[in-house]
Amino acid sequence: MTRKTFLWATVAFMLIPLYVLTVNAFKGQQDILSNPFGLGGLTLEPLGRALTNPNFNVFKGYAITLLFVVAVNVLSVGLAAPAAYVIARSPKRRFRALMLFFLAGTFIPGQVLVIPVVYVLKTLGLMGTIRGFVLFETTLTLPFSIFLYAGYIATVPAVLDQAAAVDGAGRLRTFWQIVFPLMRPAVATMVILNTFSVWNDFVNPQIILGPGSGLYTVTTGVYAAVSQYSTDYTVVFPTLLLAIAPLLVFFVFMQRHIISGLTAGATKG
Amino acid sequence: MVRPPAPAPRKRRGDGLATTLMVAPATILYTVMLIVPVGLALYLSLTDWDGFSANPAFVGAANYLDLLDDPELRRASLVTLLVAVAGTAGLNLLGLGFALLVNGNSRANTFFRIVLFYPHVLSALVVGFLWSAILGTSGAVNNLVTTWGGEVIPFLSDPTWATVTMIAVLVWAGFGVNVVLYLAGLQAVPHSLIEAARIDGATRWQVFRNVTLPALGPSVTVNIVLSLVTLLKTYDLVVSLTAGGPAGQTQTVAYLILWNSFHDARLGFGSAQSVLLMLVTAALAFVVTKLRRRGELAVHQ
Repeated sequence: MTRKTFLWATVAFMLIPLYVLTVNAFKGQQDILSNPFGLGGLTLEPLGRALTNPNFNVFKGYAITLLFVVAVNVLSVGLAAPAAYVIARSPKRRFRALMLFFLAGTFIPGQVLVIPVVYVLKTLGLMGTIRGFVLFETTLTLPFSIFLYAGYIATVPAVLDQAAAVDGAGRLRTFWQIVFPLMRPAVATMVILNTFSVWNDFVNPQIILGPGSGLYTVTTGVYAAVSQYSTDYTVVFPTLLLAIAPLLVFFVFMQRHIISGLTAGATKG
Repeated sequence: MVRPPAPAPRKRRGDGLATTLMVAPATILYTVMLIVPVGLALYLSLTDWDGFSANPAFVGAANYLDLLDDPELRRASLVTLLVAVAGTAGLNLLGLGFALLVNGNSRANTFFRIVLFYPHVLSALVVGFLWSAILGTSGAVNNLVTTWGGEVIPFLSDPTWATVTMIAVLVWAGFGVNVVLYLAGLQAVPHSLIEAARIDGATRWQVFRNVTLPALGPSVTVNIVLSLVTLLKTYDLVVSLTAGGPAGQTQTVAYLILWNSFHDARLGFGSAQSVLLMLVTAALAFVVTKLRRRGELAVHQ
């Protein structure tokens, strides 16, 4: 078996689940059961029902998830970028310690923190609220963002800052007007990575927002729609397809950034 | 906390305030939502918190003593370790193997990389539901098998099969990441060394064994640690692929933590399990790094 043949066989194996998902999203239960890989009896009806599923309003799920994605990204960049700038530009020991403090966070698995975070959110009166969820989700992005941004800012010549200071710009203005626009590649990478992690997060919205809040993200909505009907394939396949379609399109367009961003993260430490 | 720095000479007025404004928000949020919870996990693990009461009672080490003779946790720990170790082996063998196969900047290689990587951008929850629809008793594969007159394969209904299936799905969904990470490592292998070895008549295998692999040392370490740490907290996939079944046989520790905490309202007990998981994760990462260091040094001598 040559390298090429083997690779194409692997490609087939990787894509078969996606094929099964797409094809069966347009078939009735009987056709799915009798011929899961065939193309007989295609219909739009199951997809239509998935779109109007009373357990999970897909469009509302998209909207809420997108809102979270945008809010977390804006907050994350707004908080992490200036902090990274100070850390990268200050020779003071205090800020080097701060960098280590943030780096420690990359080793804390967010998932096992959900119990004490519930406690913190309850204490602050933010449990079950969008604000609470967005704040926690943003926090999870900070350690790696600050690490990546600080590394990137270090490659921006400090002469630029000094020139701005001589021209009378304060520190805040120097950063936002001179340095921040130069950070575009690092910010783009981070925004893409955060978009995936917020979109795909299941534990945190499930626990923090809770089923009682009526706020379904795409993942918690899929769970509500699919988990009880796991053998009704006319529910399972269309719902899953709707859940991943926007993300797959986004991935195909952004794959270069994603793969390079991951590489940047891998070579850290 | 960050105090505003003392005004240095030749500094503009207001710079100290600006610095504080730039650092404080991120630092405060991070402290409140990530550092404080780590400490709280320790504190809550010594209480009987049920998730509602404002003042949980202090119970000392009771939760930890309960952990020691909890048969469910023992089983879940074994499953988790098996998933972590077997999964790490699978992820890294496939990751390194395919990285070598798709190394190089042709269009075809770019396409292969995208295809190998794509499952990682789907949520683990969706991946689990998808595979359970394909491998379930009435799923696509078993329909084919029974159509051809075979017996139903209990991919998800037999404990051993279900554990193996779970590991296989985790590897399917995750090895593309390892491919990308190993590709990054391969960029750092000096090309001249490989050329020299080839000229000296080394076979492909010898080049890999004696040149490429040693140069990849640090990259292998990062990959193994990352895989272990990720797999030790496997949760979403368990929910959607097996729901912990059959009969709780595929519950992982993370699954048990959330189940005990939010289904049984034993958040104190769940916290004790979380602390244990954090310690085991940290210890394993540390041991692997240490062992690999020694290996890397041995190669260089």
